[in-house]
Amino acid sequence: MRDEPYRWIEAIQDRRDYIEDQLRVGSPVVGLTYNEGMVLLTIGRGQRKIFEVHDRIGLSAIGHPADIERLRMLVTDTASVQGFQNATEDVNLHRLTNFVLAHTFKQAFESIVGEAYIIKMLLAELGGSSEQNRFTGINYDGNVRTNADFSVIGGTEAIETGMQNYLAASPVDADRDLTAALRLGLEAWAIGSELSSREPEDTESEDTQIDTEQMHEIINIAREDGEIEAGVLEATQRGTGKFRLLSKQEIESALP
Amino acid sequence: MTKISLGATAKEPVSKNWEIGNLSISPPSSILGNTDNTKMPIKNVLNHKGDFLSLLKEANYPLQIGLPSETSHHADVEIAHSTTVVAVRYRDGVMIAGDRRATAGTSVIYDRAEKVLQIDPHSVLAISGSPAIAYEIARMLEHSFQYFRRSQLQELSLEGKLRMLSRLIRDNLAMALQGIGGVIPIFALYDREAPEEENGGKIYFYDALGAHFENVNFATTGSGSIWIRGVLRYLSRFGDTPLQDMDERQAIITILRLLDTASEYDAATSGYNARAQIFPTIKTVTRSGVETISDENLAECYAEAQPEADAV
Repeated sequence: MRDEPYRWIEAIQDRRDYIEDQLRVGSPVVGLTYNEGMVLLTIGRGQRKIFEVHDRIGLSAIGHPADIERLRMLVTDTASVQGFQNATEDVNLHRLTNFVLAHTFKQAFESIVGEAYIIKMLLAELGGSSEQNRFTGINYDGNVRTNADFSVIGGTEAIETGMQNYLAASPVDADRDLTAALRLGLEAWAIGSELSSREPEDTESEDTQIDTEQMHEIINIAREDGEIEAGVLEATQRGTGKFRLLSKQEIESALP
Repeated sequence: MTKISLGATAKEPVSKNWEIGNLSISPPSSILGNTDNTKMPIKNVLNHKGDFLSLLKEANYPLQIGLPSETSHHADVEIAHSTTVVAVRYRDGVMIAGDRRATAGTSVIYDRAEKVLQIDPHSVLAISGSPAIAYEIARMLEHSFQYFRRSQLQELSLEGKLRMLSRLIRDNLAMALQGIGGVIPIFALYDREAPEEENGGKIYFYDALGAHFENVNFATTGSGSIWIRGVLRYLSRFGDTPLQDMDERQAIITILRLLDTASEYDAATSGYNARAQIFPTIKTVTRSGVETISDENLAECYAEAQPEADAV
């Protein structure tokens, strides 16, 4: 098919449409920094979505569970071997995303006869200082983007834009604690969830403004058949491993 | 060949190891590490069992050190396992301690060796024998537990942890039989599944083939251990306060006295170095995790353990 450029491009576009359609209803994930580290949060429907990759690296994803598991294992295995052969400090998110994951995503996406990964991934790396904290998002086609203060993944680009705009508009506060970060993250999640429930053509509309009350309603409805899940990379944690999942009580006590 | 060992090389014939039935082990004629350096495609590194060792194998990490087969047929191979490490079950869990001396032959090479190593938040490994292999085993254990948790999304069970250490020791058999790489550890864990009111502290003793045995109240290994094993038994059975009823301070004092006794008779064991302020390492494994007893605390307990400390 490579002899026929037009058909190849068409096939790629079909693939993109198919994957985006599958991803659209995925529960978004929000990544935020706070005064003692970084948090990844979402509201899941049974499946666990936030994982520990290595001492200072956490992972979350939306997409097909089989693909998430396979790629999660790939990055966990690679990080574990690297961390053992050298030292755990030598494991670095840039290498894992740009060399291991991006390449794998891209190759699967572009080999149009094989299976594509239905996935969007968000990884967080706790740096030596708060300025070095990094969020890296990887799209199903292998595109990588890195952010310092916050990052989101949602089913479509429009959903992500809506969430990002909300987070960017919220007041910048370097001393934000975990409770504040969780609350802000949930609000952004509500926006993403609301956008993903709309028909694709409506998502493009300018009207993404919803008030706080609506947000809380969306969160409450989502919690009826789902559960808030949050994982943190805590700089204050003793020992080399900085990742832990927040307990139900911790999440509960942070809610307004 | 100069070989560093934790303590002088007190030797113990291999036949003294635990034997069950007629099990006999003959060393394989050739144990060669994997020297194939061809890079594995990244996709093949995927494994689903949470087994870190097979992952390393697939990544071509040499898990065994290769040695010429001719040297592996010594008639009277001996395992050097020196040092003194001791673990006792006390009121809150397990207290585990080791002296700090590393020797090569009759020379003291290092007086700040750490022989009591934290593996995860609720387990500690105390090592005697070849430090090169022992540290590698400790690191391998630590990474294996972490890898299991990260890949399988649950903690490795207590039994799983014990077996993992068995496997590492057994894999090291060839080195042990050469008389240069033997490792005999004590593994102390806290069983968090144990009921609140019970002491969940557990002590396991391993032999060179990897068999593990639970020691209920105490365990000691290393060349200095022969001098204190009887004392431990006496304290546990007839002491005014039996080991298992001691509080932290009493247990620290007892352990300091035991190590002092071992160092008096065993050249491979260091005592307390007052001039350089080097104390033995003592860690506790309790329900709330692993703690290291601070030097200040040790200095205080030492004064009490040895009223005439200045004379030492």
